[in-house]
Amino acid sequence: MFGFSERSLTTILFWVTRKKWLILSFLLSISFFYFPTPDGLSSEGHRTLIIVLVALSLIVSETIPLPAVAILILIMEVVLGVDTPDGVASSFMSDAVFFIMGSLMLAVSIVHQGLDKRLALLVINITGNKTWRIVMGFVTISALLSSFIGEHTVGAMMLPVALALIRNAGLDTGKATKLSSVLLFSIAYGCAIGSIGTPSGGGRNAIMIGYLAEFGMAEISYLDWIKMTYPMLILEIPIVSLILWKTFTPSQKTMDSSVRKLKVQVAKTGKLNANQLMAIGIFILVFLGWIFFSPIFGLGIVALSGVFLYLSFGLINWKEINRNTNWGVILLFGSAISLGIQMKETGAALWVAGQTLTYLEIIFQDVEIVRWFVSVVVTGLLTNLLSSAATVAVLGPIVLDMGGNPVITGFMTSIASAFAYLTVVASPTCMIIHSTGLITSADYFKAGWKLFIISVILLLIISLFYWPLLSL
Amino acid sequence: MKILIGISSKKYSEPTLDVGMRIASILKSSTTILDVGGKINEFSYKDVSIANELMESWDLDRPGVEVLEWAYNYLIREKYIEKNLNEIGFSKNLLVDKGNGRSEVFLKGVAVKNLSLILRNGDIIEELRDEVQSFEYDLTIIGGSGKRSMAHDLIQYIDSSIFVVNNFNLKQKYRILLAVDDSPGTSKVVKFGVRVAQAFNIEVDLITISKDGDFSEKFRIASSRAEKMMRRSGVTAKVKFSEGELVNTLVDIAGDNHIIIMGTSSQSALTKFFLGSKPLDVMESCNCPMLIVK
Repeated sequence: MFGFSERSLTTILFWVTRKKWLILSFLLSISFFYFPTPDGLSSEGHRTLIIVLVALSLIVSETIPLPAVAILILIMEVVLGVDTPDGVASSFMSDAVFFIMGSLMLAVSIVHQGLDKRLALLVINITGNKTWRIVMGFVTISALLSSFIGEHTVGAMMLPVALALIRNAGLDTGKATKLSSVLLFSIAYGCAIGSIGTPSGGGRNAIMIGYLAEFGMAEISYLDWIKMTYPMLILEIPIVSLILWKTFTPSQKTMDSSVRKLKVQVAKTGKLNANQLMAIGIFILVFLGWIFFSPIFGLGIVALSGVFLYLSFGLINWKEINRNTNWGVILLFGSAISLGIQMKETGAALWVAGQTLTYLEIIFQDVEIVRWFVSVVVTGLLTNLLSSAATVAVLGPIVLDMGGNPVITGFMTSIASAFAYLTVVASPTCMIIHSTGLITSADYFKAGWKLFIISVILLLIISLFYWPLLSL
Repeated sequence: MKILIGISSKKYSEPTLDVGMRIASILKSSTTILDVGGKINEFSYKDVSIANELMESWDLDRPGVEVLEWAYNYLIREKYIEKNLNEIGFSKNLLVDKGNGRSEVFLKGVAVKNLSLILRNGDIIEELRDEVQSFEYDLTIIGGSGKRSMAHDLIQYIDSSIFVVNNFNLKQKYRILLAVDDSPGTSKVVKFGVRVAQAFNIEVDLITISKDGDFSEKFRIASSRAEKMMRRSGVTAKVKFSEGELVNTLVDIAGDNHIIIMGTSSQSALTKFFLGSKPLDVMESCNCPMLIVK
């Protein structure tokens, strides 16, 4: 048929079924292109929104590789005349992208030092052998560490500790139990609540700081961020621990022999070696750099300085960094930020914000509630479908254009993007624990919905009663 | 002949592995046992890979390895691989990363030519299709899923013949129900029928179905040739002619104690895509294992 062999036709049909979202996006973008530009929206803004729709549908459906989505965004920005090639190139690279790149490389460098066994020792020394204390310890350590070094790093390092405890308890590490659920979720949710704590907790925080500065709304320092968010992080630790314990109460109330075996296993690794000490020292320098120098040099340059030191001191080689860094994610976030900037500059963000306010005010009456609903609830739900950084990159310019105090709205959006409790794809840590085969998609909802609601309420309370005291 | 056996878990895959290895040993074929783990989303695959590497440093198996270990132990127990490997036992060090998320364990088979265990991650149909296309398998053996879309994709996109081990009971005494007609593909279907019958040492019902009960000369010749081929191969076969609609008749006669063997549809790929096909309808309705010969 049509001159194709049966085999070729089958290949084409296979491609069509697997790439249906790409085809649909392509057809929709053409249709929207020929729609009349809505009142109040510039022609460039109209085309920018077409790119946003295409990008979102392709990211959610994962029809094509993420780097391909990133490249498509850049191509469409130029081809649809949203900006010049040089304009697109300059909006693609920013300190936020440097930061994401630097923090991913730092993560690889830290993981490479074999500090996970030290971490195990730290956890069990603090918690002892009662299971509820171990759960609390997992949540606390995951939250505190991920607030500084990024959740994916902590998630990867904590996973073997949890699995070793499960194995030492005499359980099959290939079979799901309440003990495996509670320990693994304490890592994932601990990392999620921790990621709000500092700008280096997640790429989305750096993106929001970048937007606030780029749009001339506010300059937020590393310490400013900590002051705003850390109280919420601390409050969430016992809440998460309690909800997880109540949802997945394991039959093993103590883990005596399991903890003892783990101590023996970890003791074999000996004391901290020189490389590990140097690695910790460099990270402390990076942390101090973020606090004291990021207002001058930017978060990204400080993170890259840390990578420079790790490479120069021979603590990791480039091959290892190159192999384990997710370059596709860096490309995608660069493109998403570029798209966010174009949304702002073409007025697309302002138009969407205005339309959203108009329509939602019919339901909610009060503009403050509308703003809260979009920046918290919509962001929180979208982050469970997309990724937190992509959500902030796309929604950031819109919520910042919705009026009110942009710092409050910006922080609410960034924090809500950490409510990655409901799906496997919500965050890298959720995917890491799911990849063990011990957590099903349905498990995420069991405790996730409770945490989502409580986190939304807590954020509302913090934003109403605590943030105004800081007068930022 | 090259055979690919798709497994997914210790809990559900034993019948599939059992059927697959019986056929592979009769045919002395080059055999691969494949476990496809869940798809890792692109935002996280590097992080998951780092986590897996750390797990190995703790002497913990990365996900999927336990399924391969189970398959390995099955092969030892059923004497499909050499004894000296039995003494060594399964070790994840045997797993060789072949790139693109594909890891492989090479084994020295006794009853089969080459035997390997493969671990991949991703969408099951995409991974199976890629494996079959890259290594040119003749037969893919997989467990039944009960989903129409899965059955459709298997029939439509996997290039090899497909044996769906649906509701297979190791204790059940099966017969083969082999659909014969006058199409050119029938002789290949009969050859497969002979091999499966030999693998399980079971008898065959050669069935020819006509909607209006009119069995033309061509049908009778095809049936007679099939019966002759069975007899020459030492397989006991009974010839049957039934009137009725093909799908319902075949499914009714098969019940749960037959292995259905039929050829793929001769319709174009486009027609099959939009309108489905008889093999797809049978696969969807039947309550027993089924082999579709391509």
